[in-house]
Amino acid sequence: MTITASRPKPATRAAQIRGARARRRRRWPLVALLALLSLLTISPFIAMIIVALSPVGKPTVPAQWPESLTLDNISRVFSASGFIGWTFNSLVYSLVSVVIILLTASMAGYAFAKKRFPGRDTMLWTFLATMMVPFQATLIPTFVLVANLGGVDTFWGLIMPTLANSQAVFLMRQFIMGLPDELFEAAKVDGASELRVFWQIVLPLTRPILATLGVFVFLWHWNDFLWPLVASQSNATRTLTVGLTTLRTEEVQLSMLMASAAISVVPCLLVFFLLQRYLVNSIAMTGMK
Amino acid sequence: MERVCSKVRHRLRDPVTGLLFVLPVLVLFLVFRIFPTLGVAGMSLTDWKISGEWSFVGGDNYARLFDDPNFLTSLQVTLVYSAIYVPLTVLVALGTALLLNSVIFMRGLFRGMLFLPYVTSFVFAGIIWRWIYEFDGLLNGLLARIDVGPVAFMEESALVLPALALVSVWKGFGYSMLILLAGLKAIPGSYLEAARVDGAGPFQRFRRITLPLLKPALFFVLIIETITAFQVFDTIYVMTGGGPARASYTLIYGIYEQGFRFFDFGYAATLGMVLFAVVLVISLIQRRLMDRGNT
Repeated sequence: MTITASRPKPATRAAQIRGARARRRRRWPLVALLALLSLLTISPFIAMIIVALSPVGKPTVPAQWPESLTLDNISRVFSASGFIGWTFNSLVYSLVSVVIILLTASMAGYAFAKKRFPGRDTMLWTFLATMMVPFQATLIPTFVLVANLGGVDTFWGLIMPTLANSQAVFLMRQFIMGLPDELFEAAKVDGASELRVFWQIVLPLTRPILATLGVFVFLWHWNDFLWPLVASQSNATRTLTVGLTTLRTEEVQLSMLMASAAISVVPCLLVFFLLQRYLVNSIAMTGMK
Repeated sequence: MERVCSKVRHRLRDPVTGLLFVLPVLVLFLVFRIFPTLGVAGMSLTDWKISGEWSFVGGDNYARLFDDPNFLTSLQVTLVYSAIYVPLTVLVALGTALLLNSVIFMRGLFRGMLFLPYVTSFVFAGIIWRWIYEFDGLLNGLLARIDVGPVAFMEESALVLPALALVSVWKGFGYSMLILLAGLKAIPGSYLEAARVDGAGPFQRFRRITLPLLKPALFFVLIIETITAFQVFDTIYVMTGGGPARASYTLIYGIYEQGFRFFDFGYAATLGMVLFAVVLVISLIQRRLMDRGNT
Protein backbone atom coordinates (compact mmCIF):
# COMPACT_ATOMS: atom_id res chain seq x y z
CA MET A 1 0.00 0.00 0.00
CA THR A 2 1.51 3.34 -0.98
CA ILE A 3 1.45 6.24 1.44
CA THR A 4 -0.06 9.33 -0.10
CA ALA A 5 -0.52 12.87 1.08
CA SER A 6 -4.19 12.40 1.89
CA ARG A 7 -3.67 9.41 4.13
CA PRO A 8 -6.98 8.37 5.71
CA LYS A 9 -7.39 8.53 9.47
CA PRO A 10 -6.49 5.28 11.28
CA ALA A 11 -10.04 4.55 12.32
CA THR A 12 -11.55 4.84 8.84
CA ARG A 13 -8.61 2.93 7.37
CA ALA A 14 -9.13 0.05 9.73
CA ALA A 15 -12.79 0.08 8.81
CA GLN A 16 -11.89 0.04 5.15
CA ILE A 17 -9.61 -2.95 5.56
CA ARG A 18 -12.23 -4.74 7.58
CA GLY A 19 -14.76 -4.00 4.83
CA ALA A 20 -12.46 -5.29 2.15
CA ARG A 21 -11.78 -8.46 4.15
CA ALA A 22 -15.46 -9.05 4.72
CA ARG A 23 -16.12 -8.57 1.03
CA ARG A 24 -13.42 -11.05 0.15
CA ARG A 25 -14.88 -13.60 2.57
CA ARG A 26 -18.28 -13.11 0.98
CA ARG A 27 -16.67 -14.01 -2.35
CA TRP A 28 -16.09 -17.67 -1.45
CA PRO A 29 -19.50 -18.79 -2.74
CA LEU A 30 -18.60 -17.09 -6.02
CA VAL A 31 -15.32 -19.02 -6.16
CA ALA A 32 -17.21 -22.26 -5.54
CA LEU A 33 -19.71 -21.45 -8.27
CA LEU A 34 -16.93 -20.56 -10.70
CA ALA A 35 -15.08 -23.78 -9.89
CA LEU A 36 -18.26 -25.77 -10.46
CA LEU A 37 -18.92 -24.14 -13.84
CA SER A 38 -15.30 -24.63 -14.89
CA LEU A 39 -15.40 -28.33 -14.00
CA LEU A 40 -18.72 -28.71 -15.79
CA THR A 41 -17.19 -27.13 -18.89
CA ILE A 42 -14.26 -29.51 -19.04
CA SER A 43 -16.22 -32.59 -17.93
CA PRO A 44 -16.90 -33.72 -21.54
CA PHE A 45 -13.12 -33.76 -22.09
CA ILE A 46 -12.58 -35.82 -18.96
CA ALA A 47 -15.34 -38.28 -19.89
CA MET A 48 -13.87 -38.58 -23.39
CA ILE A 49 -10.39 -39.34 -22.05
CA ILE A 50 -11.70 -41.96 -19.61
CA VAL A 51 -13.61 -43.76 -22.38
CA ALA A 52 -10.65 -43.45 -24.76
CA LEU A 53 -8.43 -45.14 -22.17
CA SER A 54 -10.93 -47.86 -21.22
CA PRO A 55 -10.36 -51.43 -22.45
CA VAL A 56 -12.67 -52.36 -25.35
CA GLY A 57 -15.87 -54.10 -24.33
CA LYS A 58 -15.35 -53.52 -20.60
CA PRO A 59 -17.84 -51.34 -18.69
CA THR A 60 -16.89 -47.70 -18.42
CA VAL A 61 -18.51 -44.35 -17.67
CA PRO A 62 -21.33 -43.56 -17.15
CA ALA A 63 -22.25 -47.09 -15.95
CA GLN A 64 -19.15 -47.49 -13.80
CA TRP A 65 -15.54 -46.43 -13.55
CA PRO A 66 -13.25 -48.63 -15.66
CA GLU A 67 -11.22 -51.11 -13.61
CA SER A 68 -8.06 -50.47 -15.56
CA LEU A 69 -6.83 -48.02 -18.16
CA THR A 70 -5.02 -48.88 -21.37
CA LEU A 71 -3.40 -47.16 -24.34
CA ASP A 72 -4.60 -49.91 -26.71
CA ASN A 73 -7.24 -47.69 -28.34
CA ILE A 74 -4.71 -44.99 -29.14
CA SER A 75 -2.38 -47.41 -30.91
CA ARG A 76 -5.31 -49.06 -32.70
CA VAL A 77 -6.46 -45.68 -33.99
CA PHE A 78 -3.04 -45.07 -35.50
CA SER A 79 -2.98 -48.47 -37.17
CA ALA A 80 -6.52 -48.04 -38.51
CA SER A 81 -6.69 -47.18 -42.18
CA GLY A 82 -6.81 -43.52 -43.04
CA PHE A 83 -6.16 -41.91 -39.69
CA ILE A 84 -2.47 -41.07 -40.15
CA GLY A 85 -3.23 -39.85 -43.66
CA TRP A 86 -6.00 -37.55 -42.41
CA THR A 87 -3.71 -36.17 -39.72
CA PHE A 88 -0.99 -35.54 -42.29
CA ASN A 89 -3.48 -33.82 -44.62
CA SER A 90 -4.73 -31.61 -41.79
CA LEU A 91 -1.17 -30.64 -40.96
CA VAL A 92 -0.46 -29.76 -44.60
CA TYR A 93 -3.72 -27.81 -44.90
CA SER A 94 -3.04 -25.86 -41.68
CA LEU A 95 0.70 -25.27 -41.86
CA VAL A 96 0.91 -24.35 -45.55
CA SER A 97 -1.98 -21.93 -45.03
CA VAL A 98 -0.30 -20.38 -41.99
CA VAL A 99 2.96 -19.76 -43.90
CA ILE A 100 1.31 -18.32 -47.02
CA ILE A 101 -1.24 -16.18 -45.16
CA LEU A 102 1.38 -14.75 -42.81
CA LEU A 103 3.66 -13.90 -45.73
CA THR A 104 1.08 -12.45 -48.13
CA ALA A 105 -0.90 -10.63 -45.42
CA SER A 106 2.20 -8.98 -43.94
CA MET A 107 3.36 -7.92 -47.42
CA ALA A 108 -0.04 -6.42 -48.21
CA GLY A 109 -0.34 -4.97 -44.71
CA TYR A 110 3.00 -3.22 -45.14
CA ALA A 111 2.00 -1.78 -48.51
CA PHE A 112 -1.41 -0.64 -47.26
CA ALA A 113 0.11 0.94 -44.14
CA LYS A 114 3.25 2.60 -45.52
CA LYS A 115 2.99 2.94 -49.30
CA ARG A 116 1.07 5.16 -51.62
CA PHE A 117 -0.14 3.61 -54.81
CA PRO A 118 -3.12 4.13 -57.10
CA GLY A 119 -6.30 2.36 -56.00
CA ARG A 120 -4.99 1.66 -52.51
CA ASP A 121 -8.00 2.82 -50.54
CA THR A 122 -10.51 1.30 -52.97
CA MET A 123 -8.71 -2.01 -52.68
CA LEU A 124 -8.61 -1.89 -48.90
CA TRP A 125 -12.30 -1.08 -48.61
CA THR A 126 -13.23 -3.79 -51.09
CA PHE A 127 -11.25 -6.32 -49.06
CA LEU A 128 -13.00 -5.16 -45.92
CA ALA A 129 -16.42 -5.33 -47.58
CA THR A 130 -15.84 -8.99 -48.51
CA MET A 131 -15.72 -9.73 -44.77
CA MET A 132 -19.49 -9.29 -44.80
CA VAL A 133 -19.90 -12.10 -47.35
CA PRO A 134 -19.96 -15.36 -45.41
CA PHE A 135 -17.88 -18.10 -46.99
CA GLN A 136 -20.86 -20.46 -46.91
CA ALA A 137 -22.77 -18.08 -49.20
CA THR A 138 -20.08 -18.37 -51.88
CA LEU A 139 -19.51 -22.09 -51.31
CA ILE A 140 -21.14 -23.14 -54.60
CA PRO A 141 -19.32 -20.76 -57.00
CA THR A 142 -16.04 -21.39 -55.18
CA PHE A 143 -16.50 -25.12 -55.67
CA VAL A 144 -17.45 -24.68 -59.34
CA LEU A 145 -14.38 -22.48 -59.86
CA VAL A 146 -12.01 -24.97 -58.21
CA ALA A 147 -13.65 -27.86 -60.07
CA ASN A 148 -13.20 -26.08 -63.40
CA LEU A 149 -9.55 -25.46 -62.63
CA GLY A 150 -9.18 -29.19 -61.88
CA GLY A 151 -8.54 -28.61 -58.19
CA VAL A 152 -11.03 -30.99 -56.57
CA ASP A 153 -9.24 -33.53 -54.36
CA THR A 154 -5.88 -31.76 -54.74
CA PHE A 155 -3.99 -29.91 -52.05
CA TRP A 156 -3.83 -26.66 -53.97
CA GLY A 157 -7.57 -26.79 -54.64
CA LEU A 158 -8.13 -27.35 -50.94
CA ILE A 159 -5.78 -24.61 -49.75
CA MET A 160 -5.97 -21.77 -52.31
CA PRO A 161 -9.56 -20.55 -51.70
CA THR A 162 -8.86 -20.20 -47.97
CA LEU A 163 -5.86 -17.90 -48.42
CA ALA A 164 -7.74 -14.68 -49.23
CA ASN A 165 -8.17 -13.60 -45.63
CA SER A 166 -9.22 -9.99 -45.13
CA GLN A 167 -9.03 -10.23 -41.33
CA ALA A 168 -5.34 -11.11 -41.60
CA VAL A 169 -4.57 -8.29 -44.04
CA PHE A 170 -6.43 -5.75 -41.95
CA LEU A 171 -4.79 -6.85 -38.71
CA MET A 172 -1.30 -6.59 -40.24
CA ARG A 173 -2.10 -3.17 -41.68
CA GLN A 174 -3.30 -1.85 -38.33
CA PHE A 175 -0.21 -3.12 -36.57
CA ILE A 176 2.30 -1.86 -39.16
CA MET A 177 0.61 1.56 -39.23
CA GLY A 178 1.65 1.91 -35.60
CA LEU A 179 5.34 1.47 -36.44
CA PRO A 180 7.26 4.77 -36.88
CA ASP A 181 7.89 5.88 -40.50
CA GLU A 182 11.44 6.97 -39.65
CA LEU A 183 12.48 3.36 -39.34
CA PHE A 184 11.69 2.57 -42.94
CA GLU A 185 12.99 5.88 -44.24
CA ALA A 186 16.28 5.47 -42.41
CA ALA A 187 16.76 2.03 -43.91
CA LYS A 188 16.01 3.34 -47.36
CA VAL A 189 18.41 6.26 -46.96
CA ASP A 190 21.02 3.69 -46.01
CA GLY A 191 20.36 2.08 -49.35
CA ALA A 192 18.40 -0.99 -48.32
CA SER A 193 16.22 -2.47 -51.06
CA GLU A 194 12.46 -2.76 -50.54
CA LEU A 195 12.71 -6.51 -50.18
CA ARG A 196 15.40 -6.10 -47.56
CA VAL A 197 13.34 -3.53 -45.64
CA PHE A 198 10.46 -6.00 -45.60
CA TRP A 199 12.60 -8.97 -44.62
CA GLN A 200 14.84 -7.29 -42.05
CA ILE A 201 12.61 -4.59 -40.58
CA VAL A 202 8.94 -5.34 -41.15
CA LEU A 203 8.97 -9.06 -40.39
CA PRO A 204 11.07 -8.90 -37.18
CA LEU A 205 9.07 -5.97 -35.83
CA THR A 206 5.73 -7.65 -36.47
CA ARG A 207 6.74 -10.90 -34.79
CA PRO A 208 4.24 -10.66 -31.89
CA ILE A 209 1.28 -10.02 -34.18
CA LEU A 210 2.51 -12.70 -36.62
CA ALA A 211 2.56 -15.20 -33.74
CA THR A 212 -1.00 -14.29 -32.78
CA LEU A 213 -2.24 -14.43 -36.35
CA GLY A 214 -0.42 -17.72 -36.91
CA VAL A 215 -2.20 -19.28 -33.94
CA PHE A 216 -5.59 -18.18 -35.23
CA VAL A 217 -4.96 -19.27 -38.82
CA PHE A 218 -3.75 -22.64 -37.58
CA LEU A 219 -6.86 -23.17 -35.47
CA TRP A 220 -9.21 -21.97 -38.23
CA HIS A 221 -7.73 -24.46 -40.67
CA TRP A 222 -7.23 -27.37 -38.30
CA ASN A 223 -10.87 -27.05 -37.21
CA ASP A 224 -12.29 -26.17 -40.63
CA PHE A 225 -14.96 -28.50 -41.95
CA LEU A 226 -17.38 -27.34 -44.68
CA TRP A 227 -14.80 -26.48 -47.34
CA PRO A 228 -12.64 -29.59 -46.80
CA LEU A 229 -15.86 -31.63 -46.81
CA VAL A 230 -16.70 -30.59 -50.38
CA ALA A 231 -13.17 -30.01 -51.72
CA SER A 232 -11.65 -33.33 -50.67
CA GLN A 233 -13.37 -36.41 -51.99
CA SER A 234 -10.98 -39.22 -51.10
CA ASN A 235 -8.42 -40.08 -48.44
CA ALA A 236 -5.78 -38.42 -50.62
CA THR A 237 -6.69 -34.95 -49.29
CA ARG A 238 -9.34 -35.70 -46.65
CA THR A 239 -8.59 -33.77 -43.46
CA LEU A 240 -9.01 -35.02 -39.91
CA THR A 241 -12.32 -33.25 -39.27
CA VAL A 242 -13.84 -34.75 -42.42
CA GLY A 243 -12.29 -38.15 -41.73
CA LEU A 244 -13.71 -38.23 -38.21
CA THR A 245 -17.25 -37.77 -39.52
CA THR A 246 -16.84 -40.90 -41.67
CA LEU A 247 -16.38 -42.95 -38.48
CA ARG A 248 -19.86 -44.10 -37.59
CA THR A 249 -20.66 -45.46 -34.16
CA GLU A 250 -22.29 -48.54 -35.68
CA GLU A 251 -18.99 -49.67 -37.17
CA VAL A 252 -16.44 -48.18 -34.78
CA GLN A 253 -16.41 -48.94 -31.07
CA LEU A 254 -17.09 -45.98 -28.83
CA SER A 255 -13.68 -46.23 -27.16
CA MET A 256 -11.98 -46.06 -30.58
CA LEU A 257 -14.11 -43.09 -31.59
CA MET A 258 -13.29 -41.22 -28.39
CA ALA A 259 -9.60 -42.03 -28.82
CA SER A 260 -9.71 -40.64 -32.38
CA ALA A 261 -11.46 -37.50 -31.19
CA ALA A 262 -8.95 -37.12 -28.36
CA ILE A 263 -5.98 -37.38 -30.74
CA SER A 264 -7.58 -34.92 -33.17
CA VAL A 265 -7.78 -32.28 -30.47
CA VAL A 266 -4.16 -32.61 -29.27
CA PRO A 267 -2.75 -29.84 -31.54
CA CYS A 268 -5.51 -27.46 -30.38
CA LEU A 269 -4.69 -28.24 -26.76
CA LEU A 270 -0.96 -27.75 -27.39
CA VAL A 271 -1.65 -24.37 -28.95
CA PHE A 272 -3.94 -23.58 -26.05
CA PHE A 273 -1.47 -24.48 -23.30
CA LEU A 274 1.55 -22.88 -24.96
CA LEU A 275 -0.04 -19.75 -26.44
CA GLN A 276 -3.12 -19.10 -24.32
CA ARG A 277 -1.89 -15.61 -23.49
CA TYR A 278 -1.66 -14.62 -27.18
CA LEU A 279 -5.12 -16.02 -27.89
CA VAL A 280 -6.80 -14.41 -24.90
CA ASN A 281 -5.17 -11.00 -25.40
CA SER A 282 -5.86 -10.79 -29.11
CA ILE A 283 -9.50 -11.77 -28.72
CA ALA A 284 -9.92 -9.13 -26.02
CA MET A 285 -8.12 -6.48 -28.07
CA THR A 286 -9.18 -7.12 -31.67
CA GLY A 287 -12.32 -9.23 -31.37
CA MET A 288 -10.80 -11.70 -33.82
CA LYS A 289 -12.87 -14.87 -34.02
CA MET B 1 19.92 18.43 -52.20
CA GLU B 2 20.87 14.80 -52.53
CA ARG B 3 18.31 13.83 -49.91
CA VAL B 4 15.55 15.68 -51.66
CA CYS B 5 16.43 13.87 -54.87
CA SER B 6 16.37 10.46 -53.22
CA LYS B 7 13.09 11.29 -51.53
CA VAL B 8 11.53 12.21 -54.83
CA ARG B 9 12.91 9.06 -56.38
CA HIS B 10 11.39 6.99 -53.59
CA ARG B 11 8.04 8.59 -53.97
CA LEU B 12 8.13 7.78 -57.67
CA ARG B 13 9.22 4.21 -57.00
CA ASP B 14 6.58 3.69 -54.34
CA PRO B 15 3.57 2.96 -56.57
CA VAL B 16 5.37 0.02 -58.14
CA THR B 17 6.68 -1.51 -54.93
CA GLY B 18 3.37 -0.91 -53.18
CA LEU B 19 1.47 -2.69 -55.90
CA LEU B 20 4.00 -5.51 -56.02
CA PHE B 21 3.61 -6.12 -52.30
CA VAL B 22 -0.18 -6.15 -52.58
CA LEU B 23 -0.19 -8.26 -55.74
CA PRO B 24 -0.36 -11.78 -54.20
CA VAL B 25 -3.24 -10.84 -51.92
CA LEU B 26 -4.94 -8.92 -54.72
CA VAL B 27 -4.85 -11.92 -57.06
CA LEU B 28 -6.11 -14.26 -54.32
CA PHE B 29 -8.95 -11.86 -53.51
CA LEU B 30 -10.00 -11.28 -57.09
CA VAL B 31 -10.04 -14.98 -57.91
CA PHE B 32 -11.31 -16.54 -54.69
CA ARG B 33 -13.40 -13.83 -52.98
CA ILE B 34 -14.65 -11.23 -55.46
CA PHE B 35 -15.22 -13.59 -58.39
CA PRO B 36 -17.26 -16.12 -56.30
CA THR B 37 -19.23 -13.24 -54.73
CA LEU B 38 -20.25 -12.02 -58.18
CA GLY B 39 -20.59 -15.65 -59.22
CA VAL B 40 -23.14 -16.55 -56.58
CA ALA B 41 -25.37 -13.70 -57.72
CA GLY B 42 -25.00 -14.77 -61.35
CA MET B 43 -25.50 -18.48 -60.68
CA SER B 44 -28.68 -17.78 -58.72
CA LEU B 45 -30.22 -16.63 -62.01
CA THR B 46 -29.41 -19.91 -63.78
CA ASP B 47 -30.26 -23.60 -63.52
CA TRP B 48 -26.58 -24.54 -63.22
CA LYS B 49 -26.04 -28.30 -63.18
CA ILE B 50 -23.09 -30.27 -61.90
CA SER B 51 -22.16 -31.02 -65.52
CA GLY B 52 -21.51 -27.31 -66.02
CA GLU B 53 -24.47 -26.88 -68.37
CA TRP B 54 -26.68 -23.96 -67.59
CA SER B 55 -29.29 -21.65 -69.03
CA PHE B 56 -30.61 -18.34 -67.82
CA VAL B 57 -33.84 -18.70 -65.86
CA GLY B 58 -34.27 -15.16 -64.51
CA GLY B 59 -35.98 -14.99 -61.14
CA ASP B 60 -37.32 -18.56 -61.24
CA ASN B 61 -35.06 -19.73 -58.41
CA TYR B 62 -36.22 -16.86 -56.22
CA ALA B 63 -39.87 -17.60 -56.98
CA ARG B 64 -39.20 -21.24 -56.12
CA LEU B 65 -38.02 -20.22 -52.62
CA PHE B 66 -41.55 -19.29 -51.60
CA ASP B 67 -43.02 -22.62 -52.72
CA ASP B 68 -40.23 -24.70 -51.25
CA PRO B 69 -41.37 -26.16 -47.91
CA ASN B 70 -37.78 -27.20 -47.14
CA PHE B 71 -36.56 -23.62 -47.51
CA LEU B 72 -39.33 -22.25 -45.33
CA THR B 73 -38.56 -24.95 -42.76
CA SER B 74 -34.87 -24.07 -42.87
CA LEU B 75 -35.63 -20.39 -42.21
CA GLN B 76 -37.87 -21.27 -39.29
CA VAL B 77 -35.37 -23.76 -37.86
CA THR B 78 -32.51 -21.25 -38.16
CA LEU B 79 -34.56 -18.54 -36.45
CA VAL B 80 -35.66 -20.81 -33.59
CA TYR B 81 -32.11 -22.09 -33.18
CA SER B 82 -30.77 -18.51 -33.07
CA ALA B 83 -33.47 -17.47 -30.62
CA ILE B 84 -32.25 -20.19 -28.25
CA TYR B 85 -28.52 -19.98 -28.93
CA VAL B 86 -27.91 -16.21 -28.87
CA PRO B 87 -29.53 -15.29 -25.51
CA LEU B 88 -28.20 -18.46 -23.88
CA THR B 89 -24.61 -17.96 -25.00
CA VAL B 90 -24.61 -14.24 -24.13
CA LEU B 91 -26.06 -15.00 -20.69
CA VAL B 92 -23.53 -17.75 -19.98
CA ALA B 93 -20.71 -15.53 -21.26
CA LEU B 94 -21.88 -12.59 -19.16
CA GLY B 95 -22.32 -14.71 -16.06
CA THR B 96 -18.89 -16.32 -16.30
CA ALA B 97 -17.26 -12.97 -17.18
CA LEU B 98 -18.83 -11.35 -14.10
CA LEU B 99 -17.67 -14.24 -11.92
CA LEU B 100 -14.15 -14.13 -13.35
CA ASN B 101 -14.05 -10.37 -12.82
CA SER B 102 -14.95 -10.59 -9.15
CA VAL B 103 -12.84 -13.63 -8.21
CA ILE B 104 -9.08 -13.36 -7.84
CA PHE B 105 -8.44 -16.86 -6.48
CA MET B 106 -7.07 -19.08 -9.32
CA ARG B 107 -8.67 -16.81 -11.88
CA GLY B 108 -6.27 -17.77 -14.70
CA LEU B 109 -6.99 -21.46 -14.22
CA PHE B 110 -10.76 -20.99 -14.26
CA ARG B 111 -10.58 -18.71 -17.28
CA GLY B 112 -8.53 -21.32 -19.11
CA MET B 113 -10.94 -24.14 -18.24
CA LEU B 114 -13.96 -22.12 -19.39
CA PHE B 115 -12.23 -21.05 -22.59
CA LEU B 116 -10.86 -24.51 -23.46
CA PRO B 117 -13.75 -25.76 -25.68
CA TYR B 118 -13.35 -22.70 -27.90
CA VAL B 119 -10.07 -23.96 -29.39
CA THR B 120 -11.60 -27.28 -30.45
CA SER B 121 -13.54 -27.89 -33.64
CA PHE B 122 -17.30 -28.07 -34.03
CA VAL B 123 -16.80 -31.54 -35.47
CA PHE B 124 -15.00 -32.56 -32.27
CA ALA B 125 -17.79 -31.02 -30.19
CA GLY B 126 -20.36 -32.82 -32.32
CA ILE B 127 -18.71 -36.23 -31.86
CA ILE B 128 -18.38 -35.86 -28.10
CA TRP B 129 -21.90 -34.52 -27.62
CA ARG B 130 -23.42 -37.11 -29.95
CA TRP B 131 -22.24 -39.67 -27.41
CA ILE B 132 -23.38 -37.52 -24.49
CA TYR B 133 -26.91 -37.29 -25.94
CA GLU B 134 -27.12 -40.88 -27.22
CA PHE B 135 -29.84 -43.18 -25.99
CA ASP B 136 -27.26 -45.21 -24.07
CA GLY B 137 -24.87 -42.26 -23.76
CA LEU B 138 -23.35 -40.29 -20.92
CA LEU B 139 -26.27 -38.03 -20.06
CA ASN B 140 -28.87 -40.79 -20.05
CA GLY B 141 -26.50 -42.91 -17.96
CA LEU B 142 -26.35 -40.13 -15.39
CA LEU B 143 -30.11 -39.49 -15.57
CA ALA B 144 -30.75 -43.19 -14.99
CA ARG B 145 -29.09 -42.91 -11.58
CA ILE B 146 -31.82 -40.51 -10.51
CA ASP B 147 -34.44 -42.68 -12.24
CA VAL B 148 -35.13 -40.28 -15.09
CA GLY B 149 -35.31 -41.09 -18.76
CA PRO B 150 -33.88 -42.34 -20.98
CA VAL B 151 -34.52 -39.28 -23.14
CA ALA B 152 -34.04 -39.41 -26.93
CA PHE B 153 -32.45 -35.96 -27.24
CA MET B 154 -31.54 -36.31 -30.91
CA GLU B 155 -34.76 -38.01 -32.01
CA GLU B 156 -37.37 -35.66 -30.51
CA SER B 157 -38.28 -32.71 -32.71
CA ALA B 158 -38.92 -30.49 -29.70
CA LEU B 159 -35.61 -31.31 -28.01
CA VAL B 160 -33.17 -31.38 -30.91
CA LEU B 161 -32.70 -27.61 -31.38
CA PRO B 162 -32.20 -26.78 -27.68
CA ALA B 163 -29.81 -29.74 -27.43
CA LEU B 164 -27.83 -28.57 -30.49
CA ALA B 165 -27.82 -24.97 -29.24
CA LEU B 166 -26.36 -26.17 -25.95
CA VAL B 167 -23.48 -27.85 -27.80
CA SER B 168 -22.70 -24.59 -29.61
CA VAL B 169 -22.93 -22.64 -26.35
CA TRP B 170 -20.47 -25.05 -24.74
CA LYS B 171 -18.09 -24.78 -27.68
CA GLY B 172 -18.39 -21.04 -28.27
CA PHE B 173 -19.20 -19.03 -25.13
CA GLY B 174 -15.51 -18.66 -24.20
CA TYR B 175 -15.04 -16.15 -27.01
CA SER B 176 -17.83 -13.84 -25.86
CA MET B 177 -16.75 -14.34 -22.26
CA LEU B 178 -13.30 -12.92 -23.09
CA ILE B 179 -14.78 -9.93 -24.93
CA LEU B 180 -17.12 -9.16 -22.02
CA LEU B 181 -14.34 -9.71 -19.48
CA ALA B 182 -12.22 -7.13 -21.31
CA GLY B 183 -15.21 -4.80 -21.24
CA LEU B 184 -15.66 -5.29 -17.51
CA LYS B 185 -11.97 -4.66 -16.84
CA ALA B 186 -12.23 -1.35 -18.69
CA ILE B 187 -14.82 -0.07 -16.21
CA PRO B 188 -12.95 2.15 -13.71
CA GLY B 189 -13.02 0.62 -10.25
CA SER B 190 -13.52 4.08 -8.76
CA TYR B 191 -17.05 4.28 -10.22
CA LEU B 192 -18.09 1.09 -8.48
CA GLU B 193 -16.29 2.07 -5.29
CA ALA B 194 -18.03 5.45 -5.27
CA ALA B 195 -21.40 3.75 -5.71
CA ARG B 196 -20.57 1.35 -2.89
CA VAL B 197 -19.69 4.22 -0.58
CA ASP B 198 -22.99 5.84 -1.51
CA GLY B 199 -24.74 2.69 -0.34
CA ALA B 200 -25.62 1.02 -3.64
CA GLY B 201 -26.04 -2.75 -3.32
CA PRO B 202 -24.40 -5.22 -5.69
CA PHE B 203 -27.51 -5.55 -7.83
CA GLN B 204 -27.94 -1.78 -8.11
CA ARG B 205 -24.28 -1.34 -8.97
CA PHE B 206 -24.64 -3.93 -11.74
CA ARG B 207 -27.81 -2.38 -13.14
CA ARG B 208 -26.81 1.27 -12.89
CA ILE B 209 -23.08 1.20 -13.60
CA THR B 210 -21.76 -2.09 -14.98
CA LEU B 211 -24.53 -2.80 -17.45
CA PRO B 212 -24.68 0.66 -19.12
CA LEU B 213 -20.89 0.80 -19.43
CA LEU B 214 -20.77 -2.74 -20.78
CA LYS B 215 -23.37 -2.01 -23.46
CA PRO B 216 -20.97 -1.61 -26.42
CA ALA B 217 -19.24 -4.93 -25.64
CA LEU B 218 -22.58 -6.66 -25.08
CA PHE B 219 -23.85 -5.33 -28.36
CA PHE B 220 -20.77 -6.49 -30.25
CA VAL B 221 -21.11 -9.96 -28.76
CA LEU B 222 -24.81 -10.07 -29.58
CA ILE B 223 -24.21 -9.30 -33.27
CA ILE B 224 -21.25 -11.67 -33.63
CA GLU B 225 -23.16 -14.50 -31.99
CA THR B 226 -26.22 -13.88 -34.16
CA ILE B 227 -24.09 -14.17 -37.30
CA THR B 228 -22.47 -17.30 -35.84
CA ALA B 229 -25.91 -18.76 -35.16
CA PHE B 230 -26.96 -18.29 -38.79
CA GLN B 231 -23.88 -20.16 -39.96
CA VAL B 232 -24.34 -23.31 -37.87
CA PHE B 233 -23.57 -26.44 -39.87
CA ASP B 234 -20.81 -28.75 -38.59
CA THR B 235 -22.53 -30.02 -35.44
CA ILE B 236 -25.76 -30.62 -37.37
CA TYR B 237 -23.94 -32.57 -40.06
CA VAL B 238 -22.28 -34.72 -37.40
CA MET B 239 -25.16 -35.14 -34.95
CA THR B 240 -28.50 -35.12 -36.75
CA GLY B 241 -28.07 -34.80 -40.52
CA GLY B 242 -30.83 -32.18 -40.39
CA GLY B 243 -33.29 -34.55 -38.72
CA PRO B 244 -35.44 -35.80 -37.19
CA ALA B 245 -37.90 -35.00 -40.01
CA ARG B 246 -35.99 -31.78 -40.85
CA ALA B 247 -36.39 -30.47 -37.29
CA SER B 248 -32.73 -29.30 -37.40
CA TYR B 249 -32.58 -28.49 -41.12
CA THR B 250 -30.83 -25.09 -41.13
CA LEU B 251 -30.11 -22.63 -43.94
CA ILE B 252 -26.53 -23.81 -44.51
CA TYR B 253 -27.62 -27.41 -44.33
CA GLY B 254 -30.04 -26.55 -47.13
CA ILE B 255 -27.22 -25.04 -49.22
CA TYR B 256 -25.12 -28.16 -48.65
CA GLU B 257 -27.95 -30.54 -49.47
CA GLN B 258 -29.13 -28.73 -52.60
CA GLY B 259 -25.55 -28.35 -53.81
CA PHE B 260 -23.87 -31.61 -52.89
CA ARG B 261 -26.68 -34.14 -52.54
CA PHE B 262 -29.05 -32.95 -55.30
CA PHE B 263 -26.34 -31.11 -57.30
CA ASP B 264 -28.76 -28.29 -58.04
CA PHE B 265 -26.05 -25.60 -58.04
CA GLY B 266 -28.28 -22.80 -59.34
CA TYR B 267 -30.80 -23.21 -56.55
CA ALA B 268 -28.08 -23.75 -53.93
CA ALA B 269 -26.53 -20.45 -55.04
CA THR B 270 -29.92 -18.79 -54.53
CA LEU B 271 -29.96 -20.10 -50.95
CA GLY B 272 -26.44 -18.67 -50.63
CA MET B 273 -27.83 -15.28 -51.66
CA VAL B 274 -30.45 -15.54 -48.90
CA LEU B 275 -27.72 -16.22 -46.33
CA PHE B 276 -25.70 -13.31 -47.73
CA ALA B 277 -28.73 -11.01 -47.46
CA VAL B 278 -29.41 -12.05 -43.86
CA VAL B 279 -25.81 -11.50 -42.74
CA LEU B 280 -25.68 -8.19 -44.63
CA VAL B 281 -28.81 -6.92 -42.88
CA ILE B 282 -27.42 -7.91 -39.46
CA SER B 283 -24.10 -6.20 -40.25
CA LEU B 284 -25.85 -3.03 -41.43
CA ILE B 285 -27.98 -2.92 -38.28
CA GLN B 286 -24.77 -3.24 -36.31
CA ARG B 287 -23.13 -0.41 -38.25
CA ARG B 288 -26.19 1.83 -37.82
CA LEU B 289 -26.54 1.26 -34.09
CA MET B 290 -22.78 1.53 -33.51
CA ASP B 291 -22.74 4.92 -35.24
CA ARG B 292 -25.64 6.08 -33.15
CA GLY B 293 -23.92 4.88 -30.00
CA ASN B 294 -20.80 6.86 -30.81
CA THR B 295 -22.43 10.22 -31.38
